[in-house]
Amino acid sequence: MKRLREFSYHEPESLEAAIGILAAGGDGARLLAGGTDLVVDMKTGRMRPSIVVNLKRIPGLSGIEAVEGGIRIGALTPVATLQASPLVGQMAAALADAAAVLATPPVRGLATIGGNIGRASPASDLGPPLIVHEAIATIEGPDGSREETVESLYVGPGATTLAVHDIITSIFVPTPAAGFGSAHLKIGARAGGTDIAMVGVSAGVTLGADGRIAAARIVLASVAPTPLRAIAAEQALAGREPSEEAVAAAAAAAAAACRPISDLRASASHRVALAGVLTARVLRSAIARAREASR
Amino acid sequence: MRLTATVNGRARTFEVEARSTLLEVIRESLLLTGAKEACGVGECGNCMVLLDGEPTPSCLVLAPDAEGREIVTVEGLAPEGALDEVQAAFLEAGAFQCGFCTPGMVITAGALLRDQPNAAAGEIKQALAGVLCRCGSYTKVMKAMEKLAGRGA
Ligand SMILES: Cc1cc2nc3c(=O)[nH]c(=O)nc-3n(C[C@H](O)[C@H](O)[C@H](O)COP(=O)(O)OP(=O)(O)OC[C@H]3O[C@@H](n4cnc5c(N)ncnc54)[C@H](O)[C@@H]3O)c2cc1C
Ligand code: FES
Ligand code: FES
Repeated sequence: MKRLREFSYHEPESLEAAIGILAAGGDGARLLAGGTDLVVDMKTGRMRPSIVVNLKRIPGLSGIEAVEGGIRIGALTPVATLQASPLVGQMAAALADAAAVLATPPVRGLATIGGNIGRASPASDLGPPLIVHEAIATIEGPDGSREETVESLYVGPGATTLAVHDIITSIFVPTPAAGFGSAHLKIGARAGGTDIAMVGVSAGVTLGADGRIAAARIVLASVAPTPLRAIAAEQALAGREPSEEAVAAAAAAAAAACRPISDLRASASHRVALAGVLTARVLRSAIARAREASR
Repeated sequence: MRLTATVNGRARTFEVEARSTLLEVIRESLLLTGAKEACGVGECGNCMVLLDGEPTPSCLVLAPDAEGREIVTVEGLAPEGALDEVQAAFLEAGAFQCGFCTPGMVITAGALLRDQPNAAAGEIKQALAGVLCRCGSYTKVMKAMEKLAGRGA
């Protein structure tokens, strides 16, 4: 069996204690949430932490609650819990869609939302819907608590703006505007989700009282070093009727914005082609949901 | 460090290293070799055990995270040697060739049927998507599962 290298292991029971260990530990310290990335990365040698700080004994970091202006999702909330949550389904349909196609059911039981952001994989399924929904992360560090948009946290493959001693404690998803609908789709090697995305797309569309698209947000996975906001595609929709022509224009703009690599999952050109197809499909779902919400 | 957990219905206490995975503990300390390591990285489900009732790839769980929890391995499904319903249905349908994936399959299948006794074919496929069978016994696994879910002969 692939044995893990030795590390010093900690199970702090408070955030303060965890931050203390991280701050003292320096660059070799890593947080452990569900471990579905960290344990894998330690087995493959991609990560060689000398200190592992398990967050799971700290109370209050898991669960989903309705709060003023939106919902608050604890960083340790498992993806399976997101998938099953009626609150997430109502308030953040794209996030619920994404949770339902992330990995396989047993992995979803371990994998957490905070770990998904922390890993910052370009193929992340949760980054795009969180950015579409303008989610805000609460981060605890040695200097206290701060809030950052999830969008601003991504820097590159596996890299975030978080310092070693920073802990995401929760994610706030604001109540969407009236007439808003969102959806997430991905294409992997096999049907029905479960595989890492060759391409993933989340979209959110707000229909105005006149039935035109007041605003749109489109974010793609696996086509750039970070989740990619397709601003030109969003602009191609603003102010237009939610027609097939508008959808096609946005899909073309989204494909044009992609900067993918070729890897074992798909070639760059295949990814660009998929990005267009998937953007059109996900926009149709988001528009249909926005129409439902406008009724 | 010391780990106390319930394994197949019995309270057990043993010494583990923090860097051991639950799978290593199960196979090497408890000598329960039903759970297998194939990929070691969460993709194949051959190491599946029930952790507090939920199918969990034990190769991804650090041993200390099992503290105080209830672990059921494939050995725990038939403690007296009599096969449980899922195992018997797999045997009858011949839902394996080499049998390497079977512990993960029956552990995962049993949890699904406990929660959804009449799971639809699509739900069965989704639930079992986390267990890979190198021999390609999926069709016969589905045959066993259809019968367990109350359909087919
Ligand atoms: C078989 C398999 C299939 C997968 N398929 C998919 C998929 O389809 N889509 C997808 O998006 N992902 C997939 N993943 C990746 C993984 O499951 C997700 O990224 C998951 O959400 C990671 O969460 P975790 O709790 O397991 O993170 P961990 O492994 O515990 O941590 C990941 C990283 O985040 C840091 N971290 C954890 N919690 C916090 C926190 N609260 N604050 C700050 N940093 C933190 C850790 O230090 C570490 O660097 C897959 C993984 C496996 C093993
Ligand atoms: S050995 Fe654990 S999932 Fe493959
Ligand atoms: S029967 Fe051989 S791996 Fe499934």
